[in-house]
Amino acid sequence: MSPAIDLNKVTKRFGKKVAVQELSLRVERGTSMALLGRNGAGKTTTLSMLLGVSSPTEGRLSVLGGKPTDAKVRDRLGAMMQEVSVIERLRVEETIELVRKYYDKPLPLRTLLDWSGLTPHAKLMTQGLSGGQKRRLSFALALAGDPELLFLDEPTVGMDIESRQRFWETIEQLKARGKTLILTTHHMDEAERIADRVVVIDEGILKADGTLDEIRRLNRVRTMTFTAGPDVTPERLRALIGGAETAWDGRRVRLTAADTDRLLRTLIRDGADISDIEISAGGLEQALQTIWSRERKGETA
Amino acid sequence: MNAYIRMWKAQSGAELLRTMRNRRFFMLGIVMPVMLYFVFVASVGDNVQIGGIDWKAYYLISMTAFGIIGSSLNSLGPRLSQERTQGWAKWLRTTPLPNSAYLFSKILAQAAIHVGIIVLMFAVGILVKHIHMPAHFWLESALWLLFGMIPFLALGTLLGTFDAPEVVTVLSTVLQMMLSLLGGLWTPTEQMPAWLVNVAHALPSYRFAEGAWNIMAGRAIPWETPAILLGYAAVFILLAVWRLSRKGARA
Ligand SMILES: Nc1ncnc2c1ncn2[C@@H]1O[C@H](COP(=O)(O)OP(=O)(O)OP(=O)(O)O)[C@@H](O)[C@H]1O
Ligand SMILES: [Mg+2]
Repeated sequence: MSPAIDLNKVTKRFGKKVAVQELSLRVERGTSMALLGRNGAGKTTTLSMLLGVSSPTEGRLSVLGGKPTDAKVRDRLGAMMQEVSVIERLRVEETIELVRKYYDKPLPLRTLLDWSGLTPHAKLMTQGLSGGQKRRLSFALALAGDPELLFLDEPTVGMDIESRQRFWETIEQLKARGKTLILTTHHMDEAERIADRVVVIDEGILKADGTLDEIRRLNRVRTMTFTAGPDVTPERLRALIGGAETAWDGRRVRLTAADTDRLLRTLIRDGADISDIEISAGGLEQALQTIWSRERKGETA
Repeated sequence: MNAYIRMWKAQSGAELLRTMRNRRFFMLGIVMPVMLYFVFVASVGDNVQIGGIDWKAYYLISMTAFGIIGSSLNSLGPRLSQERTQGWAKWLRTTPLPNSAYLFSKILAQAAIHVGIIVLMFAVGILVKHIHMPAHFWLESALWLLFGMIPFLALGTLLGTFDAPEVVTVLSTVLQMMLSLLGGLWTPTEQMPAWLVNVAHALPSYRFAEGAWNIMAGRAIPWETPAILLGYAAVFILLAVWRLSRKGARA
């Protein structure tokens, strides 16, 4: 079976500005991929090309084995764009009904209203919706055709806690049903929740690509937290561990360093009275920070 | 094929509904023409003759044309501009709806609205102002008006290619008023100075109404009248296509 998306040395320029540079990427069906990167990294530009809204300056790409501009391909994909937009003077349910008609095998209106949490607002005119409600409507519209492949460009911006919760529950259900998800987000907890694969780009260039765990492990910095006994003073600790960064919260100490293993051994050898020790590798957020700091030092990933 | 029919039906239906819910359209396309009609017919008098027909029939055509011009420009232009600049049109391109269906269903809905405007105005003329004309005059005038609206739909589409919806909204109304005033829809060209008559004759608004005035007066329509209308339509369409393709190239 052809991959869900396949980019082959895709470059996109806006005048002199290179938004995406020779990006090659292949995502198999059923994968949930998070495309991460700082503002202006080229995430939305990449998605626009995959959606057939703009075309690459150079390189080739295919979506579900075809061209994204092909109506047959479009029938099988859904998209939530970064800018939400609704059409005025239609009710929520009328808008969903209209968009359902674009697809061969649409999901029932009731399901779409339910998944987007818009059932109570079905009769409202779209121009009267709040920002978060508009985004939920755009979610319902993205799902209208029961897509195999779903593009989500910062989907939860402006959603309240409950909507966000419902949103990710729905996404998890879709993932369980074997849908392919391509997500961009600046909330690393969201990426950690659903991504099997993480792709990091910066200035349009691929910086890292791997499973969620592989990317997390790029992070060399660990956080060690422990409770210090009365004889462990900040001065004594500093004498033992040198320049590692520490933060005190009452007797609870949080220490951030690349070599927490060595520091822990030092503390134990010294007989320091520490308890409740926790060491965590940190999440995606720290991993991305590691990637950015390497960038600054000019290292390659 | 079925998929296309399904999409077209849904899209045109939604556009029709949206236009009917638009207060601006109601004011400029229906309420104003009807009100002006009553005011000007009453102030001039029912039995005055102009251009070889009763003033009340002449002015009925003028105001129907005025309403159709207003409805074409004020519905199409602002809406297209808004939907393009606010990202809706872009999102639509990710759906299976063909680009052509998006535009043409708007135009189809607009044409249906114009049938409604014609029926309403003619009903006012027949039932309220008791205009007596052979049935085929009414029918031919209606058909002429449906043909003659093409350049105005094209102009509305062209206005929709500009990126500032607020400006387009104002511009649409200003153009409706200017075209109607200079085209002799408010005051007949018979009462205009000669140089202004020349201006009027060059405008699509005058030519639009002229065809139907002639039908009502039992006169033939000069060949240049449809030619001028089609010429304007062609220019507006070409400009719109050119502007849109330039934008497409920058996407
Ligand atoms: N239409 C355009 N014309 C000119 N430059 C553009 C255009 N669209 C995007 N760019 C530029 O391309 C780069 C990538 O933009 P893009 O929107 O893809 O970033 P992003 O990764 O989605 O960022 P964000 O996280 O802020 O959404 C940016 O430098 C942006 O300024
Ligand atoms: Mg973006």
